[in-house]
Amino acid sequence: HREPPPGAEAYIPQRYPDNRIVSSKYTFWNFVPKNLFEQFRRIANFYFLIIFLVQLIIDTPTSPITSGLPLFFVITVTAIKQGYEDWLRHKADNAMNRCPVHFIQHGKLVRKQSRKLRVGDIVMVKEDETFPCDLIFLSSSRTDGTCFVTTASLDGESSQKTHHAVQDTKAFHNEQDIDTLHATIECEQPQPDLYKFVGRINVYHDRNEPVVRPLGSENLLLRGATLKNTEKIFGVAIYTGMETKMALNYQAKSQKRSAVEKSMNVYLIVYLCILISKALINTALKYVWQSELFSDQPWYNQKTESERKRNVFITAFTDFLAFMVLFNYIIPVSMYVTVEMQKFLEIGEGPLVNTSYLNEELGQVEYVFTDKTGTLTENNMEFIECCIEGHVYIPHVICNGQILHDCAGIDMIDSSPGGSGKEREELFFRALCLCHTVQVKEDDNLDGLKKAHPSGRSCLYISSSPDEVALVEGIQRLGYTYLRLKDNFMEILNRENVIERFELLETLHFDSVRRRMSVIVRSAKGEIFLFCKGADSSIFPRVAEGKIDQIRARVERNAVEGLRTLCVAYKKFTSKEYSSVQKHLQDARLALQDREKKLAEVYEQVERELILLGATAVEDRLQEKAADTIESLQKAGIKVWVLTGDKMETAAATCYACKLFRRNTQILELTTKKIEEQSLHDVLFDLSKTVLRHSGSLTRDTFSGLEIQDSDPGSNWTSEQWNVVYLGVCRVALADRPIVKLIKLSKEHPITLAIGDGANDVSMILEAHVGIGIIGKEGRQAARNSDYAIPKFKHLKKMLLVHGHFYYVRISELVQYFFYKNVCFIFPQFLYQFFCGFSQQTLYDTAYLTLYNISFTSLPILLYSLMEQHVSADILKRDPSLYRDVAKNALLRWHVFIYWTFLGVFDAVVFFFGAYFLFDNTTVTSNGQMFGNWTFGTLVFTVLVFTVTLKLALDTRYWTWINHFVIWGSLLFYILFSLLWGGIIWPFLNYQKMYYVFMQMLSSGPAWLGIILLITVSLLPDVLKKVLCRQLWPTETERTQNTSRHFRDHISEFTPLASLKSPRYRSNGCNSSTARRSNPHSKKMLFTHCRGNDYSILPSLFGYSNKHCNSSAGYRYSGSGLETSV
Amino acid sequence: MAMNYNAKEEADGHPGGVGAVAGGSGVAPGGVGAGKSRKPDNTAFKQQRLPAWQPILTAGTVLPAFFIIGLIFIPIGIGIFVTSNNIREYEIDYTGTDSASPCNKCLNVSWNSTPPCTCTINFTLDHPFESNVFMYYGLSNFYQNHRRYVKSRDDSQLNGDNSSLHYPSKECEPYRTSEDKPIAPCGAIANSMFNDTLELYRIDGEETRTPIHLNKKGIAWWTDKNVKFRNPTGDTNNLTALFHGTTKPINWPKPVYMLDSEPDNNGFINEDFIVWMRTAALPTFRKLYRLIEKKDNLQPALAAGNYSLEIAYNYPVHSFDGRKRMILSTISWMGGKNPFLGIAYITVGSICFFLGVVLLIIHHKY
Repeated sequence: HREPPPGAEAYIPQRYPDNRIVSSKYTFWNFVPKNLFEQFRRIANFYFLIIFLVQLIIDTPTSPITSGLPLFFVITVTAIKQGYEDWLRHKADNAMNRCPVHFIQHGKLVRKQSRKLRVGDIVMVKEDETFPCDLIFLSSSRTDGTCFVTTASLDGESSQKTHHAVQDTKAFHNEQDIDTLHATIECEQPQPDLYKFVGRINVYHDRNEPVVRPLGSENLLLRGATLKNTEKIFGVAIYTGMETKMALNYQAKSQKRSAVEKSMNVYLIVYLCILISKALINTALKYVWQSELFSDQPWYNQKTESERKRNVFITAFTDFLAFMVLFNYIIPVSMYVTVEMQKFLEIGEGPLVNTSYLNEELGQVEYVFTDKTGTLTENNMEFIECCIEGHVYIPHVICNGQILHDCAGIDMIDSSPGGSGKEREELFFRALCLCHTVQVKEDDNLDGLKKAHPSGRSCLYISSSPDEVALVEGIQRLGYTYLRLKDNFMEILNRENVIERFELLETLHFDSVRRRMSVIVRSAKGEIFLFCKGADSSIFPRVAEGKIDQIRARVERNAVEGLRTLCVAYKKFTSKEYSSVQKHLQDARLALQDREKKLAEVYEQVERELILLGATAVEDRLQEKAADTIESLQKAGIKVWVLTGDKMETAAATCYACKLFRRNTQILELTTKKIEEQSLHDVLFDLSKTVLRHSGSLTRDTFSGLEIQDSDPGSNWTSEQWNVVYLGVCRVALADRPIVKLIKLSKEHPITLAIGDGANDVSMILEAHVGIGIIGKEGRQAARNSDYAIPKFKHLKKMLLVHGHFYYVRISELVQYFFYKNVCFIFPQFLYQFFCGFSQQTLYDTAYLTLYNISFTSLPILLYSLMEQHVSADILKRDPSLYRDVAKNALLRWHVFIYWTFLGVFDAVVFFFGAYFLFDNTTVTSNGQMFGNWTFGTLVFTVLVFTVTLKLALDTRYWTWINHFVIWGSLLFYILFSLLWGGIIWPFLNYQKMYYVFMQMLSSGPAWLGIILLITVSLLPDVLKKVLCRQLWPTETERTQNTSRHFRDHISEFTPLASLKSPRYRSNGCNSSTARRSNPHSKKMLFTHCRGNDYSILPSLFGYSNKHCNSSAGYRYSGSGLETSV
Repeated sequence: MAMNYNAKEEADGHPGGVGAVAGGSGVAPGGVGAGKSRKPDNTAFKQQRLPAWQPILTAGTVLPAFFIIGLIFIPIGIGIFVTSNNIREYEIDYTGTDSASPCNKCLNVSWNSTPPCTCTINFTLDHPFESNVFMYYGLSNFYQNHRRYVKSRDDSQLNGDNSSLHYPSKECEPYRTSEDKPIAPCGAIANSMFNDTLELYRIDGEETRTPIHLNKKGIAWWTDKNVKFRNPTGDTNNLTALFHGTTKPINWPKPVYMLDSEPDNNGFINEDFIVWMRTAALPTFRKLYRLIEKKDNLQPALAAGNYSLEIAYNYPVHSFDGRKRMILSTISWMGGKNPFLGIAYITVGSICFFLGVVLLIIHHKY
């Protein structure tokens, strides 16, 4: 630290930030302007602002208060909220920046505030403290130079991770020692990837040549992580303040927009056009009408002097603006606020939501891309068997008779093969014991001897890959126990209970491109071995000798069974060979540029000419109800693609298991091998051609295996052919993202959903319209990058079929309804212009104009958008085909939009002309007195509020007491408000035009009759349309509604059945053990049992349901409880 | 074992939901529980498991509604229609555009012609007007609802506010001040107040003209007369003194405190003035002018016979192509003659009934 000694490489001074974290957005000074600016960037606020300004500048029909007041209210509330949040952030920042940190200065421990930390300072961190900045780990109180860290606050992974101190500095254990250290560190510029770090350290020992060591992410301690199980560590600060990886990670993800929002914006543009054309028409007509002077300025209504003098073009323009202001309410600005509130309030229900903007998108999914391991399957590996040179070994724990018959005639473990076989066998077990990155969780009581737990499995071995744990545990059952890694020596306990020690020389880590990993170890005898394990496809080409054919056959057989297979091979090094390998590796690791590429080259070189030992098979159980979920998704018309890196046979087996493939599925294989130049586009095109050729045949289901190395997505690819393709299973290495992109960009722009659990799925999750992460065993990376995180794959079913459906129905109704109610609101004003000389006279009072969207009609639709369940969640779940009813944005198509708009126009015409003819040149009171224009407007407005609210009431299918309260409450509120508003002379207003208008109106009989009549007439067409459509062309949803109604009406008669079931629900809800493979018989029994029960209800059910619906629907409903039992 | 398994499969998403269905009370189970690892707020609202009523609009449910609406609306409509038809109404257009009209000579009067141009129109009522008769004047093509016109008033001034009396609102421009004095009442509406005088005589025999008493009280809303419109208050009750410092509207012949001789119908609370100030909704409108009350129960308010309408023609409408009318009408509980409501009710009722029949057919056929 500090200055580099002379002779070091050129040191470019760089300005480092101090260690202050600033997460707050505003300062005291810039709060008002910055906050206002950000708020007015939102379209709704901006629109209001423009209208407000226009109202201020020119003489407009409505006072600026009508738009200024709501705007001011919204802005103020938002500003207060954001200001408060920012104040909290300031407080948190201050607390963070002021918290004490131990520095080493001149060999002494000094306490300072965290913000004073600078790059190059040496910091001491004690147990359970969080790191104040990104540190290079120099030394720890543990003698082996490791420390344990939990990064729960960074990425949510609660498991402890081991970090390693730099080799040459781990001996500096106290303040004085560490002060003598002379070293320079070179590292890359700060970047947000938490798991990547490249750098090197030059350590100077007493003027000798510096020792160069590579630095990787295992040497880096991240700010925000917490030190665990280690007394104290020393580290040198390399990234501080806003350059720490944690701070860099605060950057917001790019926003995904939902399809509904897009249609919403399109409709808005349409309405904007309507608004402008309305204003233009009225302005033009106004000037036609005014062409005669007596219309423009009759003697009773003269203009002022200044008005008369004004330029005609200016007046025309102001008139246009005034019309715009008059009709501005047709743009449902409050819709945005309502949508936002709805989204805000919906949170907290169901899955963990990262992006609530996409809720409705869940109801629109057409393609599901799913990862296999950990998503479809449990990622809970069970070691099944291993095959050494063609002999199959099965650990006896698993041999419980279920699988035994399957592998009849195999050699059991006792029938030991002789001679060299024995040697190979031992080598194989040792290989599996050594070739892994499993850690042994040390328990202080146990003192390292795992023998105390002979049967103990889990919780002792920890690894990022469950396969490895399964393998190590499996081998333990076969007699070889991995004990620990201590001081670079791996200790294993062999069958004779003798501890063997191997020195771990190198670890060639696993990566998804190579799909294998290796270790180089030196045995006690001094022999140097390379053990390599990996996917068959990556091992077989590198094997020089061994019983390849036998093993390959076994591997394939296992793959068909759906087991995950790994091959194991070894290689012996002479010490000379090893030293050259070591040198290459070292060089590659120290490289600052292209380190990964160089490493890969070296690995490639090292892992060659192996000797095949055998293969292992690990079972990854299907997740609970994965098959059911996939089946439902397919019934819902969603195309499910499984993207996996497994062998094709394994993938196919999984697909059969989870009912993605049926027995009659015709499998088309398309295996394109690693053609780099050929783009993915061509591959898929080939596939689609193949599919087309076969599409005449029996099945729709098609399987395709693709082996793709890497490629670019084609852009203009049409997906028409893909309608035939039910699903594809692709063997993909790195191409998740292009495939998703390809589908996304295809001609129909289908909505895609990607679901995965591991870090390798992140790209796919980010690319798809909706990304779902499974909070699984492979860490939380996927969940962090996803839009939604769910615990299990099976929750996807409910999420899409129930929540997605609901959200979509709710939001689309919300959007359409908002447009509808504003057409109803504004169109009468438009019509009124024809009767008031195009003078922009408002029909309604200012208060009504302001409050219509804010309070009279806002709450019912908000509540609808939160509560509506047009079909019960149960039915949606049981009948996935209902999902097809909302697919492809069905409820926001143009014809639906036009229907709603025309309904709005019709209603508006009814309101206006109804009132017109009612008031036409006659009196409507029994005392002969006349009503004026405000009574006319109030009548129209009353009819409007009632109609619009009742229309929503007609659409509401799910009436809870809250709905009743809000709908009837809004109407009551309107009446009470009107009574109050007209009830007194308001002292602060300079006009009293509404005084007693409402009450006078209510005192008139014809007004009541007229209101009732007009409401009836307005609602009639919609009711009629609903009833006729339901009767003549019912959608699937409506059929189900009919059925379920009948079903529900009569279910009470079957209480024996219901009561029989219900008490067991709770007791069994948490019992999650379903061993699918092991108990097929019990399931069969269940089926027949239930059948018997069901038949007893069916006849009576038919009796009721036959009348109105076809019986199959009734059958489906009642039978659906059994859906998963076959 | 078998039942256990089945129950578990079922129970998964909606714990306890089915129990509610078993109650048979139309309760919908809508479990939205997340996985077992995470439980969101367990309130019924968050879980969306509130008891709910789930109506569906089917032909079956709507049918009775249609018939009921039909059965209710048609009688109401017939009732209204009959009532409306029983109302007597007599209308005279006295604009005088027709050269044969007695008022033709007054067609181009100006505001302050003295003496006023008068004309007399004779008419005959064929049927007696049994109950109280309401006398209206009607104007056509008069845009009382023009925005510039509607807002050209000062409600505070009309409510007796002294400061507004002397400093009227800017909305009153260009009728705010005249000769540097504030106008009371200010604004275009007040300025253009209708000022024809209509008198009605019954002609018995040859030359006996009996004037018919026209009641000028009770033509404005009670609340307007007693609350919304107030004369300015001060030390005296003398309106002339109270309105001191203001001037009359330009078009008026007399100031506001000389509108009527009776003090409770003078100044701002003059009922003719109040009626005029309530701006009409449409360009063709009528306003209540006078009441003709029945003297006793035996005689009709206006018996059949000859009448003459004497008009002091002051109000020019020809310049904007307007028309002036005098209307005599009786009133029922539902107001004046208006066939629209009755016809509309009958039509809607019939449509509903017809639709009910159509739906019934559809319902049974499909």
